[in-house]
Parts: sequence; structure tokens; C-alpha cells
Amino acid sequence: MKIEGEYLFDGPREVVWEIVRDPDILATALPGTQSLEKISENEYQGEMQVRIGPVGGLFSGRVVISDEIPPESLTMTVEGKGKPGFVKGTGFIKLSPAENSKTQMQYQGDLEVGGRLASVGQRMMDSVSKSLLKQGLDSLNQALLARVSSAESGEVVDYEAPSEAQFAASVAKDMASDALASRKVWWIGAAVVLLIIILVIVILSQG
Amino acid sequence: MSDHYQLSITVNDTQYQREVDPRLLLSDFLRHELGLTGTHIGCEHGVCGACTVLYDGLPIRSCLMFAVQADGHHILTVESLGNPENLHVIQQAFWDAHGLQCGFCTPGILMTLVPFLENNPHPDEDQIRHAISGNLCRCTGYQHIVDAVKLAAEYMHS
Amino acid sequence: MKKYIGERIKRNEDPRLLTGQALFVDDVDLPGMLYAAFLRSDYAHARLISIDVSEALQRPGVVAVYTAEIMGDEWQPGPANVSPPPTVENITFHSRTQLPLAKGKVRHVGEPIAVVVAESRYIAEDALEDILIEFEPLEVVADIEKALDPEAPLVHDDLDSNLAAYMVQDKGDYQAAKTKADVIIKRRIEIDRGAAAAMENRGIVANWEARSQHLTVWDTTQAPIPIRNGVASRLGLNQTQVRVIAPYIGGGFGPKMMMHYPEEIMIPWLSVKLGRPVKWIEDRRENFFGTTQERSQVHDAEILLSNEGKILGISHKFLHDSGAYDPYGLTIPLNTESHAAGAYDVPNYHSELTVVFTNKMYTSPIRGAGRPQGIFLVERLLDIAARELGIDPLEIRLRNLIPPEAFPYDREIIDQAFALLTFDSGNYKPAIEMAAEKIGYEQFIKEEGPRLRAEGHTVGIGIIPFVETTGVGPYEGARVNIEPSGKVTVATGVGTQGQGHFTSFAQIVAEQLGVPVSDIDLVTGDSADFHWGTGTFASRGAVVAGNAIHASASIVRGKVLKLASKLLNAPEEELELEDGFVRVADLPRLSISLGDLAAEANPLRGAVEPGTEPGLEATAYFGPKSGATAFGVHAMIIEVDQETLMVEIKRYVVVEDCGTVLNPLILDGQVHGGVAMGIGNSYYEQLIFDENAQLLNASFADYLIPTACEIPNIEVAHFVTPSPLNPLGTKGAGEAGAIPVPALFAQALENAFADVGLEILEMPLSPNRLFELLQEKVSQP
Repeated sequence: MKIEGEYLFDGPREVVWEIVRDPDILATALPGTQSLEKISENEYQGEMQVRIGPVGGLFSGRVVISDEIPPESLTMTVEGKGKPGFVKGTGFIKLSPAENSKTQMQYQGDLEVGGRLASVGQRMMDSVSKSLLKQGLDSLNQALLARVSSAESGEVVDYEAPSEAQFAASVAKDMASDALASRKVWWIGAAVVLLIIILVIVILSQG
Repeated sequence: MSDHYQLSITVNDTQYQREVDPRLLLSDFLRHELGLTGTHIGCEHGVCGACTVLYDGLPIRSCLMFAVQADGHHILTVESLGNPENLHVIQQAFWDAHGLQCGFCTPGILMTLVPFLENNPHPDEDQIRHAISGNLCRCTGYQHIVDAVKLAAEYMHS
Repeated sequence: MKKYIGERIKRNEDPRLLTGQALFVDDVDLPGMLYAAFLRSDYAHARLISIDVSEALQRPGVVAVYTAEIMGDEWQPGPANVSPPPTVENITFHSRTQLPLAKGKVRHVGEPIAVVVAESRYIAEDALEDILIEFEPLEVVADIEKALDPEAPLVHDDLDSNLAAYMVQDKGDYQAAKTKADVIIKRRIEIDRGAAAAMENRGIVANWEARSQHLTVWDTTQAPIPIRNGVASRLGLNQTQVRVIAPYIGGGFGPKMMMHYPEEIMIPWLSVKLGRPVKWIEDRRENFFGTTQERSQVHDAEILLSNEGKILGISHKFLHDSGAYDPYGLTIPLNTESHAAGAYDVPNYHSELTVVFTNKMYTSPIRGAGRPQGIFLVERLLDIAARELGIDPLEIRLRNLIPPEAFPYDREIIDQAFALLTFDSGNYKPAIEMAAEKIGYEQFIKEEGPRLRAEGHTVGIGIIPFVETTGVGPYEGARVNIEPSGKVTVATGVGTQGQGHFTSFAQIVAEQLGVPVSDIDLVTGDSADFHWGTGTFASRGAVVAGNAIHASASIVRGKVLKLASKLLNAPEEELELEDGFVRVADLPRLSISLGDLAAEANPLRGAVEPGTEPGLEATAYFGPKSGATAFGVHAMIIEVDQETLMVEIKRYVVVEDCGTVLNPLILDGQVHGGVAMGIGNSYYEQLIFDENAQLLNASFADYLIPTACEIPNIEVAHFVTPSPLNPLGTKGAGEAGAIPVPALFAQALENAFADVGLEILEMPLSPNRLFELLQEKVSQP
């Protein structure tokens, strides 16, 4: 599965780089992450709850950072395994300065998926992964804003990571708007949003 | 099996009180707890319809429901329709029209048809095919099933 | 005497099936029964570094966990090949069969690695998640063509490559014919995998009774006797210590054959090991990669014709995907070869077959079993030739049919039964003309089609003749017995999965003994009742088992006449069997019931003469020297929705010639079911794998089985050319419905999109794929 995209961060490159290399922030940016710890300079290990439609479970995995050119680019290799299957992939991230002290992130990656995730979750994989990525990047951006403000004002600004339920709702909204955009069938979209929100919140609240 | 739940359920007009695991599927409850093996399991994800039973008169997928969700409700399975010496009129029509081959999907189709024929006494071919479009059959190609339903409608209203 | 063969008789088995009173494997419930669940590989190709089952063993309710390691010396590699390699010179064949549990490495997604046995299925499935496996993922062989690349990873490390088999077959001299051809058409044809997807998944219950040293196995198998023999051999038991019962089975279609799947080895072993009954029932997802599939082939094909459209030769070089193992030998590709010249007189033929291993579930016959691929090949080439030569597609076929005087017709290549392929009998032209008339072919081509198209409809017509090799040996047997009650009991070794054996076979007996069909009770598929035979597959039940039943019923008839002649004091020629009685013709009061006759034949006093047997019973066997060739024609008119590219089948006509028809009601049902599967294979069903051989649509939500809204009304007409190869004159028909459908879809769609010049060289299709093909045509006119 190919993943490609761009994201505009509201802050300078150096701070974005800091945040991307900070396991504590990463852990909160992606809810579902149970733990994420640095085990060496370039290696992280962690556990994450992943849910794609009816398939979900705990994944444990490793992330290895390589080819670092701070604050410009890096390569990330991910390997995760869990009851719902396995995931293996490589991603390349490039940060370029943009207007008004913002940063343009470009990312591209290749992901291999296997097990139940692949055989039953296929139809939803694309939209859910796009959404997960967007939510994660939005959270990182919030963390970035908080850090930038504190640096400017000298006060500590709190960064609040989204709760699981909020996260789920956002994913649902994204998936539905994906569907709406391509099909322009409003009532299906509304029903889908409602259904998915209810479904995901119920499941997550029992997780 | 951990926590148990006191289930009170009526199946084929008999009241049952049983202690069940909350995650026991209704299909497994009917088949293995009550020994009513006429309801069959084809997919356990709600698509094939082989497990269809009536829940307060409405056809549902028993593989997608927990037994505890049917607490206090009325379930009807294929065993409520008839027995080999005394067939229900729909069963008789299926026999006469060769509406089954391996018979695995048949109970699910019969239970789907019970409310359908009650509400549609003179269905046309299109209506019949739509009514059973939620029941997969791999053997018959559906044609003799459609013939059987037409025959059943005739038998029921002659 | 009343006739029973050929009558539309209601089925004996239906009342039990209709009321939910028929026993299927999952209905078996034994005291003390344990439940098994298999941990299957998520990887298509990986080394097994370590397996830790300690946590699983600690889960309450878990009784045992086994892996290949834990089994130790009791783990023995694979079952034997179901069918050995054929007796052709210069053949390469590497036999690699499946394993009871994976050892060292896994070779396909779904390969069983460990088995958990617990007090309930729920606990067993929970415990699967407690098992920790360390995999070392390996490069995957996912593509049938890349399998033979020099750098391709090896599915079997002890081989030099992923070549499973290589074989060349020839008739005549294709190269010489090529020099004389006016037209040469060359195309590449690709066919992809589908699943049989019977409504009932597989399942096994095994019960080892230590005190009587006897093992009973209920198995959703189409071939209980070979399973019994295999299990007995594996466990070191006498065959008589093992009873395999194939009760009512919810659809077979091929994959429930005598594979000796890993589960068929493990579950009986577990019961003996644990001393308790053990049950395993497959779930639908497991079925998608734990039960065999097939159809994947790639052909580079060529056809030679004269300017008049006469076929001079057909040649194809093809790849066949065997999956991770090759237990079923070359049966499927041999069938493809047997049908690659269709129903036509082809003087020169050349085939080059390469079978490869890939990291996917292994393949074994599914309804059609390689025949659809062969028919697709020849019919596509012929349609393309017809266009090039400017000849009508029906006309070009009529010019090439094997004429009736040419039978028996030699194809001069060997078939799946390792015999020289000979078509025994047939009369093709009138059957095609019957089909063409029924569908209104001429009228559609000349008037109706153009008119509808002028009105803006996208419509198309197709007509495809095909042959089906059926009724192969080695043999089947049956025992017929008249009981003192007057009921006739019959036993045969084949299993039944919905084909109506309990009725059609009873009709064969009824014809001999004059007993009403409802008074004839059959047992099929129970090795305790009859233990010699092969199984239900390859459209052979009615032919082989049917004729064995006919033979034994005839012997019983002989015994009846002999004894009745003595008791009624009348010559045998004057006796009639009717309604369960033996009567003297013209003197109906002189009669005796068959039941009373049976009692007389089993005296409690006196002596039975030496050389005679008590009772009115006989056992007989039938082994055809070669298979009988059935014939059929399918024709269809479709309309394609221009926006959605969904296909509506407006009319579907079948003319079926399977020789003597036992029960037209049952035969029609078989044809309908086959056509429905064919339609699925053409436009809705496809197993989709990614480049890591991960199956992406392992559920009915994503693998689309046609519903009642996709299958049309099918008009079936019968044409009868009896087979000279067996006394009943029957030919098989079980697979016929599925065989020509992909070729028919391709032809009809090309006809519908003739203005765009659409050419279809692949199956299955789908609305998406049709859209892509049309776009390609539009962008490069």
C-alpha cells in the first residue's frame, strides 16, 4: 500500500524536528499508543491499539530512524506485529521551510499489511490510514503550537492530546467526507458518519 | 467461560431458563445448547443468511446476535415449521419443486419466507428474488427455489 | 412395467433436509467432546524461528496444544499425492504434499502451525492468541510468471526452482500444419483464481473408543473411503478399525475431496492421543485460505485456420499455478488440455505445460476442474478468428464440429485418468441448432440486436458449444439387498453433497426391481456400510456408482426371478416385477411380495444349497474403460448498463446432452447450479492477492457470490446421445453448467461492444475491469 502526502506545520523546522524525535509527544499524538520508548539513539519500541473497521487489536513494534539529515529529512522503518496481523513499511519524510515560519512536510511510504487486517480490513484500509495519519499530524501540530507559544510568551502552554473518543469521531468524519466527496450522496454520508461514530466509540470505550 | 448470565428465552414456543456466557452467539445457543441443529452456520459475518431465524416474528441473522440479546424474546427456528411426517406448506412446496439440493441454506431461506409470504400472498418473480437476495445458495442457482416459492404461495391461498 | 429412470421423481432425502432433521458434521455432539482450533500463518512465506505455547497451555479450559516440534516423532510429513503423475514419457514431476502442521517454515497464508484443543471452541480460539510465534519473513512468490525467475525465492528449498511439473503432449504435427495455415491467431490468455465456497465449511469430528479400539470420523469429505484408508494407515490401524462417515454435506464442488488436509490428519490423531472425541469446524475466513482453490493459468496460445475457417491446429504453452504444494498432481491442467480443442475436429495439437509452486493456498479441482480454462482458450481463439475471417461465430463452429460418424474420436493425448483421450459418442450439430433456435440466434443477429442498439441499448448475444469429459474410473461398487419388510436397502461408497443420489440411484434400482422409489433406502458415504470405492468428483457419480448399482440390482433381479419361478411354479419369462410384488403375467393372483420372497431366501430351517447365498442380496462393481464425453451448448443474451457496466442476463438457454437422463428434475438443478457458479466465475468472483500473496478479500462481503438477483431463469433442454461405454448409457453432468460460461460471457460482451472492437482475453471480469478494458480500447483505437 502506498502512502503519500503533504502537511503544513504552524512552526519552524527545528521545532518540528524536535517534536518528531520526541517519543513522549509522539506517544500522545497518536491515541491508541500504549507506550513508546527510545531504546537507542535511532530506535523506538512501542505498543499501539489499532482498529480498522471490525478488525483491531494490540500491535507491538519497532521504529528505526535512519539517513537523518536534521532538520531536513529522515527515513523511518516500521515493523509491527499483533493478533490482527502484521505491518511492515518504510517512510521518507522531508521538511522544508515555508512562508511565515511554517514548515512543509512531505512524506511518502510503502506499507505491507498481512493477516486479518489485510484479508478483512482491505476496503477501509486506505481511508482509515489517511485519517489516522492526518489526526496524528494535527496532534503534532497542536503540540508544536503549544511549544512555540511557550517559547514566545515564557509561559507553559498546555497541549492537550485528543481523547480516544474524539479521535474516533474525527476518523469517522474523515471517512464519511471521503465518501461524500466522491459520491455526493448526502444521506448515505450522514448515515455512515452516524453509524461509524457510534460503532467506533462503543468499541473503543470497551477497549 | 467467565461471568454467567441468567437467560430467559422462548424458542419454538418453549420457555427456557439457562445460564450462559454473555458472548455465546445466539446461533451457537440454539444449535449446541438447545440441540436445534436445523439452523446452520455459513459465514458468521451476516452475509450468507443460512443462520436466519425469526426474532419476535422478524428474520434476523442469529450469527450476529448474542444469546443474551434475545433475553425475554421469542425465537422461531426451522424446527417450528414441521417434521418429516408433517411438513409445513412451504416445506411441501419446496419438496414438490425440488427447491433444495444440499439443504444447508434451506432452513435460512424457509425462515426468511415465512414472514415474506404472510405479507406478500401473491408475489411476482422479481419480488421473490429480492426477498431471498439475502440468502446465498451455491447449489441450486435459485431457479427451483423461486419455483418453490411460487408454488408455496399457490398452496397457501388455494 | 412401470418406468422409473427418466422420471421427475421427488427426492427421498428432502423431508429430513427441509425440517432441519438431517445430520451435518457440526451437528454431531458427543459426551466429553473437545474442540480444536488451528493457528494459521499470517505470512505467505516465512521461517519459523520459535513457537512459545506456554501461555496458551495455562489458559483455563485448554487441554492440549501441539506444534510439529511438540509432536516429535509422531509428526510425519504429508499425505501421499491424491493422484500420481501421469504415464507420459519425458515428464518432470516433483511431488510435494501438505504437512499436518508446518515445520521449519510456512509456505502460504493459512498454513496451520499449531493446534489448540479446549473445552469449547470459544476458549480454543482465544488460546490461539496466546501463542507467540517468531517469524523470519522471506521473499514471497506471488506471481505465477515470476515463479520461474532465476532469482525467485524457493517455495521448496530442496528443489532447484519452483518448477513443479513439465510435460509436452502432441497430436499430429503442429509445426508442419503451421506452414500450410492461411490464418494464424496468437493470443495470451489469463485466468485467475476463484473459490468453491460451499455454504457449509469443512469440519471433522473424530472419536477414538479405546475400549473397542475403534475410530469413528465424521468428515465433510466427498470421498470417505480414501480418507478412511489414509487415516488408518497414518495411525497404524487396520482399515476395519476406522469408520469414516460423510453425513449430509452442505455442498462439495471439489475441494472437499480426499485431500487429506492437515486437519484430516490431525483431528483423528488428537482423538487417539487424548482419548476423547475432538471436533473441528472451519470458519468462513479459514475456508478462504485453508481450503483449496483454483483456476489460475496463463496461456500463450495459437490457432491455425484455413481461409474457410477450418481449424488446422491448436497450440498452447501454459503455466498452471499449483500453489504451495501439488497434492492433486496434474489433474486440472490435464483437463484443460483435454478441452483445449473443444468440441472440434482438430488434426494437430501441441501443448507445453509448466506447473509452478507459488506461496498461495494449493490448488485442487473446483467444479469444471480445468475444463473451463480449456474451453475458454479454444472459444476465444475461434471468436477472434471468426472476426478476422469475416465468418459468423456460430457458422465457424458448425464448420469445425466433430461429425457424428467420427466417433469414437481420438484426441491422441492422455487425459486425467491417464488413458488416451477418446470421445465416446456425440451428435453435436443438431444440439447446437436446437440451442440457436431456442435463443433466436439468427433473429437477434439480423433484426432484434440492431433494433435494440438503435434504441440505445447495449446488448449482446453469445453461443458456445462445449464438451465435458466425465465418468472416469477407476471403479465404484454397490450392494443391493431386499429386506423381509419389502424395503430395498442399497449401499455405495461415494458420498452425497446435494446431487440427489438417494433418489436418482434409487430410480436405477426401482427400474430393475419394480419397487417404488420411496421404498428404497440408500446409504452413501459410510465406510462401515460399503468400503470399496473412490468418491464423488469429476462428474462420475451417476455413471460409475450408478452403473455399479445397476449391476448389483440386476443380479438381485436375477435371484428374485429364479426363486420366484420355483415358488410360483412358473417360468422366469412369464414373471413381472411391479409395486414390490412378483407376479405371473396374465395370472395376477399368482404373486408373492418381494419381502416374503426375501424371507424365503433366508431360511431358519433346512439347508442352503452349496454355491448359493442366502437372501436376495448382491454386490457388484463397475469400472469404465474410459470416460464418457458429454456435450452441451449455452447461449445467452445480455444487456449492459452503460453507466454501471453491470450485466443483466436477458435470456439463458442450455442444451445438455449427458446421455441417458436418470431424473430430469435433479439434472436441471445441477445445470442451474453449475451455470450460477459459472456466472460467478465470469463476472463477480475473484480471489484477490497482493504482491505478498496476502488474500485481500477473505469474506463474503468482499468475495461476491451471486445472489438470486444476479442469476437469471435458465431454460434447459435435453438432447440424448447415450454412451456406449456403460449399460445405462449415462454420462456425467455435475460440472457441465459451469464449464462454458466464462467463454460465453466473453463472446457476448464482445458482441455487445463490437463497435469498439473489444477483445477479452482474461477471466474473471467485473464492471471495474470491463471499464478499464473499454477505456483502453477508446484511448488506442
